[in-house]
Amino acid sequence: MRIFRILYFKELKSYFLNPFGWLILCFAALMQGFALTATFKQFSDNAVPESLVFVTFTSPIFGIYFLFLFPVLTMRLFSEENRSGTIEGLLTAPVRTWQVILSKFGAAYTTFLSLWIAAIVHFYLFTVLTDVPPPFTNGELTGAITIIALMGMLFTAFGCLASALTSSQIIAGVVCTAILIFHIFLGFIPLLFGDQIPAAPFFEFISSQSHLREFSRGLIDSRAVVYYFSTTAFFLFLTFHLLDFRRWKP
Amino acid sequence: MIEISSLSKSYGRHKAVDQISFEVTRGEIVGFLGPNGAGKSTTLKMLTGFLPPTSGAARIAGKDIFRESLEVRKKIGYMPENVPLYTDMRVKEYLRFRGGLRGLSGSRLRKRMGEVMETCGLTHVRRKMIKTLSKGYRQRVGLADALIHEPDLLILDEPTNGLDPNQIRAIRRLIKNLGEKHTILISTHILSEVEMTCNKVVIIDEGRIKAADTPENLVSSMRRAGRVTVELQAPKSEVEENISEFEEVTRVVGESLQDGWYRFTVFAAPKTDTRLKIGKLAAAKKWPLRSLSRRIGTLEEVFIELTRKD
Repeated sequence: MRIFRILYFKELKSYFLNPFGWLILCFAALMQGFALTATFKQFSDNAVPESLVFVTFTSPIFGIYFLFLFPVLTMRLFSEENRSGTIEGLLTAPVRTWQVILSKFGAAYTTFLSLWIAAIVHFYLFTVLTDVPPPFTNGELTGAITIIALMGMLFTAFGCLASALTSSQIIAGVVCTAILIFHIFLGFIPLLFGDQIPAAPFFEFISSQSHLREFSRGLIDSRAVVYYFSTTAFFLFLTFHLLDFRRWKP
Repeated sequence: MIEISSLSKSYGRHKAVDQISFEVTRGEIVGFLGPNGAGKSTTLKMLTGFLPPTSGAARIAGKDIFRESLEVRKKIGYMPENVPLYTDMRVKEYLRFRGGLRGLSGSRLRKRMGEVMETCGLTHVRRKMIKTLSKGYRQRVGLADALIHEPDLLILDEPTNGLDPNQIRAIRRLIKNLGEKHTILISTHILSEVEMTCNKVVIIDEGRIKAADTPENLVSSMRRAGRVTVELQAPKSEVEENISEFEEVTRVVGESLQDGWYRFTVFAAPKTDTRLKIGKLAAAKKWPLRSLSRRIGTLEEVFIELTRKD
């Protein structure tokens, strides 16, 4: 546990003790502000049957910048160690491979979670600064933040895998983006081929789009929670074997 | 300290290391020599648990490098080739991080950090970012990192690679001092370094061990070591005939020098000295003799003799 803590804080420092982490934080806050402002505009123009939280988190602006965050947060994790050769020093120290992976994943995920502080503050400010009754409930906000945390967990694991595949940050970033786009695309299959195909519910379930909609309505579905935890574990398991591969390849 | 038996490593069809076996006992400084691509780094990477062997086994301090990798890694201080470091860390911060990974903490960690920075001459740069340090200093940071947990065994992969002569001397002195407390395995292709610091040499080429002995033994047993050169004023054929009769002599080649003297090169078995016999012969035959010398080999010649491709 001590080793894990040392590695975790070292990784976390690499986000927050240089401009990189703060730039992402700034970018996320800015984009979140845009998404919220665009939603306000929509609300002021015409009647919207959904809540402010729902519309914000299902808007195209959110979709675009949300997916952009993961390659940026994770592409450096393993590829930089591979490129500079520090991975050799790291893995010849008495540390276990899973400690290295979980610490890197944990630090990237912690950074990701910290990006949502701004979003929560934005919604809180709305209730404090205006005399309008808030066009959302706490349940909806909790649901939305929960699904963002769950999706973030899985997407960070995608990023870890992509980063462990290569020694180039750029390729890692591109691969991560490709996996994310593919994952989101799976949700469009029922739209393309119709809801009537037998596999439609399957594709709907494994893609994050329907989860995002449900959770932002305040419906916390335990099946989705299990799904995100297990797939995250699976992708971290793949990363583990990718990193450990050189230890058992013939 | 290290027992290697039939260790092999293949990359696809290419055999990087082929059935090597050697031992290193506690307290030795061993030079691991070989031309580029001989398999030195691969062997060291296997010993440190970074790469698995394709076949064979090795034990460090009695522990199997593959099955008890974590235990083995606790006992090793390893400085990889080209010394990869986290360049956006400060020297002190880096050593604290690495010391922590090796299980040091609190006052013991602080004490060891102070000691290794002192030993490696890093105290005055401890607050600098590693990326601003010169190659020599980075090398020292790598060495300090390898030393911080007082390992039983130090494995250094080309520790003086790319340093200037002053820095090489400083590192060499450091290694020599460290040899009093630690067992050290140094990979290098700089022979003078080995001659000056090591008390055992292992020469590897094309993945195979070519020799493993003390530098002195290697030098004295090399093929050219028994060769004697003598300058005489005497009939060439008679000299050649007489000297050839000595049992250890394989061949005598004479050449005429411009001033009426002859120089004879006497090829003899290694570890023999024919000088005395030749001297007595010249005295008995009353041949004027002006020079008689036995070749003193160098490790460089041994190395070339063992690893030459032609």
